[in-house]
Amino acid sequence: MSAVIEARGLSRHYPGNGLPVRAVDSVDVVIERGEAVSVMGPSGCGKSTLLHLLGGLERPTAGELRLDGRRVDQLSESAWARLRRRGVGFVFQAFHLVDELSAVENVELPALLVGMSRREARARAMKLLDRLGVADRAGHLPDRLSGGQRQRVAIARALINEPLLVLADEPTGNLDSHATGEILKILARLRDAQQTLLLVTHDPRVAAVADRLLSMRDGSIVEDTRLEGGLSRQAALAQIAGWEA
Amino acid sequence: MSLIGRLAWSNLRARPGQAGLLLVVLILATGTLSLALAVNETGDRPWERMWQRTNGGHIYAEVFHRPDLPPDDPALVRARAELAALPAAPGVEAAGGPWRSVFTNGVVAGVRMELIVASRDSSPGGVGHPLVTGGQWLDGGDGVVLEDGLASVLPVAPGDTITVTGLTLPVRGVASSVSAGRFPMHQPGRIWANPSTVDKLRAAGAEDFTDAVELRLADPAQAGAFAATHRREYGIAVLDVTTWEQLRDNAHDELSIFAIALLVIGTLLAWLTIATAAVLVASRMAAQIRQVGTLKAVGVTPGQITRVLLLEYCCLAAVASAVGIVVGTLLSPVAARNMPSLYGAPEAPAITWQRSAVVVAVAAAVVLLGTVRPAIRGARRSTIRSLGADVLPPPRRPSRLARWALRSGVPLPAVLGLRAALRRPGRLVANAAGFALGLAMVMIALAIDGGIDRFLASRPRNDVEDAVSAGLEQALIDRLQAIVTAAGILLIALATVNVVVVAIFAARDSARNHAILRAVGATPRQTVTAFLVSQLGSCLLACAVGIPLGVFLFNTLGGDLAPARLSALTYAAVVVGAPLLCLATVAVPARLLARQPVAPLLTYE
Amino acid sequence: MREAMLALLAKEPAHGYELRQRLTRALGPIGEVLNPGQVYVTLSRLERAGLVRADQVAQTAAPDKKVYEVTPAGREHVATWLLDASWPKVAPVEFHLKLVAAAATGLADPVALIDAQRRELLRRLRDVQRLADDESVDADGVLLLEGTALRLQADVRWLEACERRWTGWRS
Repeated sequence: MSAVIEARGLSRHYPGNGLPVRAVDSVDVVIERGEAVSVMGPSGCGKSTLLHLLGGLERPTAGELRLDGRRVDQLSESAWARLRRRGVGFVFQAFHLVDELSAVENVELPALLVGMSRREARARAMKLLDRLGVADRAGHLPDRLSGGQRQRVAIARALINEPLLVLADEPTGNLDSHATGEILKILARLRDAQQTLLLVTHDPRVAAVADRLLSMRDGSIVEDTRLEGGLSRQAALAQIAGWEA
Repeated sequence: MSLIGRLAWSNLRARPGQAGLLLVVLILATGTLSLALAVNETGDRPWERMWQRTNGGHIYAEVFHRPDLPPDDPALVRARAELAALPAAPGVEAAGGPWRSVFTNGVVAGVRMELIVASRDSSPGGVGHPLVTGGQWLDGGDGVVLEDGLASVLPVAPGDTITVTGLTLPVRGVASSVSAGRFPMHQPGRIWANPSTVDKLRAAGAEDFTDAVELRLADPAQAGAFAATHRREYGIAVLDVTTWEQLRDNAHDELSIFAIALLVIGTLLAWLTIATAAVLVASRMAAQIRQVGTLKAVGVTPGQITRVLLLEYCCLAAVASAVGIVVGTLLSPVAARNMPSLYGAPEAPAITWQRSAVVVAVAAAVVLLGTVRPAIRGARRSTIRSLGADVLPPPRRPSRLARWALRSGVPLPAVLGLRAALRRPGRLVANAAGFALGLAMVMIALAIDGGIDRFLASRPRNDVEDAVSAGLEQALIDRLQAIVTAAGILLIALATVNVVVVAIFAARDSARNHAILRAVGATPRQTVTAFLVSQLGSCLLACAVGIPLGVFLFNTLGGDLAPARLSALTYAAVVVGAPLLCLATVAVPARLLARQPVAPLLTYE
Repeated sequence: MREAMLALLAKEPAHGYELRQRLTRALGPIGEVLNPGQVYVTLSRLERAGLVRADQVAQTAAPDKKVYEVTPAGREHVATWLLDASWPKVAPVEFHLKLVAAAATGLADPVALIDAQRRELLRRLRDVQRLADDESVDADGVLLLEGTALRLQADVRWLEACERRWTGWRS
């Protein structure tokens, strides 16, 4: 079974004043099915750009990218759009729900785009909203929802076509601590359900949801480490308590 | 400069393109209005020069009576006596007349026509003595002098002969006078002759027409009062007394046709400017909503914000008024060029405060109507909301039409476009208004075009005299047609600009939504389709309203040329062509929308 | 732990086993690693300090067990402790000095130390969050874990700031 993401020498350069700006500089990374990976780094390190490249929102200036074994770095806009419908779910810091559509209408949008019948799309959307605990807000417009509710709707939208990959860009950036806690739980559930996840974040707690951490600096990945401590439950608890006491 | 002034100035400087566009459209409106008001007076200066050179009277008194009245009729006798007494009335400095004139027909340069022959003596000078423009004045013999317009149209030169009431008379000269309007605008043609010659004509069968007197007053300002005092009516005979100003104002009736046409065009341009201003302001407020929020957060009141906006646009209105007044006045001679009733080349009239006040009032009204409502709404919006993320006002529930469309299987992009259009019906209407006006004008221009050909073709071309009248009409109609066609093109061009401006702002507003759609998997073609459908809505509305509006206006105001009878082909061409033109203009912003990179819009600011 | 045990005894006397039960419950998962011996050691220390008094209680079917009771001095100690607002160990002095020392002696690269520590803390954060995910944990346990997670989050953020400062310190 091929990896979900396979990037070789992936780069994104912008022409600058004089020297070109290397937002993403020759990145190699492989992400397997079911992996939850987080990407951390200082502002301007290129982590958001990397996420855009992996989701086709930006075109690489060099390198190869394969999604589920298929070469995608040279795809046209339309082909990428069709690929995104089934393959990639996005979760943004600013939620990016369509203001004029109700919550459930926002969620069913990708399903309608793949040609699902209205009835089926609606049913799926309602089920997802229910699983995420916002079914009672299904008919509301986004401006009537709290930040946490909006992000849950956005997550439902990302999941409705059972995508290969969920890409989240600072999913808790606009949320208060209570809402952040809710979203962390949801992300953990997605991870446990073997959804392939890429989380770009500043927040250590979001990063800690993942099993694997990529650190970026100046457009390159400088560290690729597993977060599984390998400790038993007892040992881990002792460590925490010891530190506490 | 006060805070408000500084803010207004920096706002104008920050968006020179928009300010410039609004200024141009506003100048076109004010310029056209100023032109309309000024064109009526373009004949005044040449008229006044002629009046001075002929030592024209301040007062014109004439006795009109029923044609078959016997000379000893008591009413007629009384009227004539009053007339004869006028030169001796208090306030009169000098007088000419009484002069008798007769009504008859004759043949001039081979053309059979009706004529008025007025008696004058051969002495030079005197009040109201016509200005000789060719040949010589009367010499006591039977020679006659023709009015300048008559002589030049037919044409006749000194030394030719004409036949009047069957008598052959030599032409001694050609002269011009303000008391005799120029032929062919004022008909019948006028001839001056000696009293003895006139008596001969009466003997030959010419009818008595009027007796006239011209007076110069010691105090010209009293002319109005004098006229009012000495006017008399005796039923079948009337002593009509008018002032020189009244004579001047009635001398160039044909110009008022242009004035009216230009007034209508100017009004349409004003409405178009309101529509454009509304679009610009609404988008400006939306884009500036964060600035408004910041200002309010530091203590600037909504009232002050509204005042800033008003100051900006009132400045634009003031500049546009000034430029429009000057340009319109300077261009007015062009509209009146070569008109037959003029006593010389038309000249731009002096800029009066009355005309200026009208133009300024209209400019102010346009600015207020276009900008006040969106501005006040924007300023009143709560500070928190202004500083928050949302730029657009909270949307209404999706319309029933959109929901029905989705249910009935209309493709998703079209449904989204329909939704976007229907979510703010007020804007839809405002956007449609501009294009509708342009279309109405085009329909009027086409209807006039068709109507004129029919009108002229329906007239019998037997008499050359009728041909002269027809020629005059043709000249007027040609000029009118030129004005209307130019206006039609201008309005359509401006309306198209309006459509493009609306589309550009709509593209900006919907950019984020389109980015979201692309992120969830809509292709660029789908998002562009959605956009085109949303813009097409107002295009179709504009066509549905503008085409019948134009036809209706033409039928109501078209006079002899109405009703409009345009071929089915013409209608088809407009009905198909207009939406295509809309689509073509909207396609450009649509393509830009598609090309726009998606990622920056989705990255958190 | 001393003061908490004193406080629990102030409510009512108890023997060692009961005390340990109550503490464990209050601590949630972390209570699992509470050393049973530690409880008794602390109790004897409290006794030596005169803050608690041990009484022998005769039992019918079992050997005598010690019941501990709080003394007036102990009660006063608890009162003071409850009202005390000092918050121990706020400044991360140790690690800060570690970095300074590394830089001064040249024995280690401060940035490498920071990266390693950060990795470690993120691993612990991951563990804490997984513990909190467990639905069988009660509200108090979750709260304690939440506090742990927030402190780890704060420490990671501080380490990122340290990295910014110590990157390129040589120049």
